[in-house]
Amino acid sequence: MTKKLFKISEAAEFLGVSIDTLRRWDKNDLLKPIRASVGSYRYYKKEDLELFLNDIFVMAKKWVLVENPKELASEFYCVDSQTFQSRLNKLGQQLENINDLEKSFSLITSITGEIGNNSFDHNLGSWPDIQGILFAYDLNKRKIILADRGQGILKTLKKVRPTLATDSDALEVSFTEIISGRFPENRGNGLKYVRKVVSEINKLTPLTLYFQSGSAVLNLKYGDLALDISESDFLFHGCLALISF
Amino acid sequence: MTIQLKKFGNTLISRQNGREAWLAFNYQLQNVKPDESIRVDFDGVDTFSPSWADEFLTPLFRFRSDGKRLKLKKSDNLSVGATVDTLEEVNKIKFKWEI
Repeated sequence: MTKKLFKISEAAEFLGVSIDTLRRWDKNDLLKPIRASVGSYRYYKKEDLELFLNDIFVMAKKWVLVENPKELASEFYCVDSQTFQSRLNKLGQQLENINDLEKSFSLITSITGEIGNNSFDHNLGSWPDIQGILFAYDLNKRKIILADRGQGILKTLKKVRPTLATDSDALEVSFTEIISGRFPENRGNGLKYVRKVVSEINKLTPLTLYFQSGSAVLNLKYGDLALDISESDFLFHGCLALISF
Repeated sequence: MTIQLKKFGNTLISRQNGREAWLAFNYQLQNVKPDESIRVDFDGVDTFSPSWADEFLTPLFRFRSDGKRLKLKKSDNLSVGATVDTLEEVNKIKFKWEI
């Protein structure tokens, strides 16, 4: 007979997290178990766990969209760039151990670093509500997700280029021109580098990038000469990125 | 003088960390003789990025005679090559690689 429900210890093992983490996720409504009654043991459906694993992008999307977000699970939340750096180190080590990424792991790690640090650099002292970024990955699904509830690209770049009118224009400028939202500092290479790595360099492991800021979405893949920027059906103040490899 | 970048970490990302590395390293540069070559060794660096490098390699390039006495040791790490290319493009400079 197929086993239908997982005990909390089995669910924790399945997801690769601790039992305490699952209890916290329950409290924060991030992943709800089934209980026969209040205070009774927690059980989890296998399909709920699988859905949760598949849906870290949906979780990130919810987090940037909702008006008053609940606290993120600490496993996915980097309050400052030091925390991000330490988790990125770990990701780099894990990627290096994946057979076909032996060469290209450094490129994937470095573009992840550039996107994450961009969020911290451009929102330092100016986070509209929640400081920090969401940084999650699923190495089985080969996805890395980064999100912030910061000011977004348009607001940042408008400081140095007031004529920018739309999220799409701002996104295009950020991925193509050397311009910094922190003038007169010499900055603004990060997203150009991300574009170069995804579209020109990393032919060993073709990457795709989904990058949204405000209502504008960039979809980028290996070989793309022009930027494919479109309007999303949802809008938020910040950035949301999905790297697939 | 050879600079072993791994002494600053294996994952070299963020401007903040690059700037701190540059400031920490600066006192050693004061001892470099005017005609002495500087070599940068990437061995042991797992991930390199333009943000970090622009705060360390770019000022190192501009230290004294604009890169004339600076040589980069070849590395098979793809992020090293991609990062150096980006710095060259952005700053309109050309690094010399050790043959």
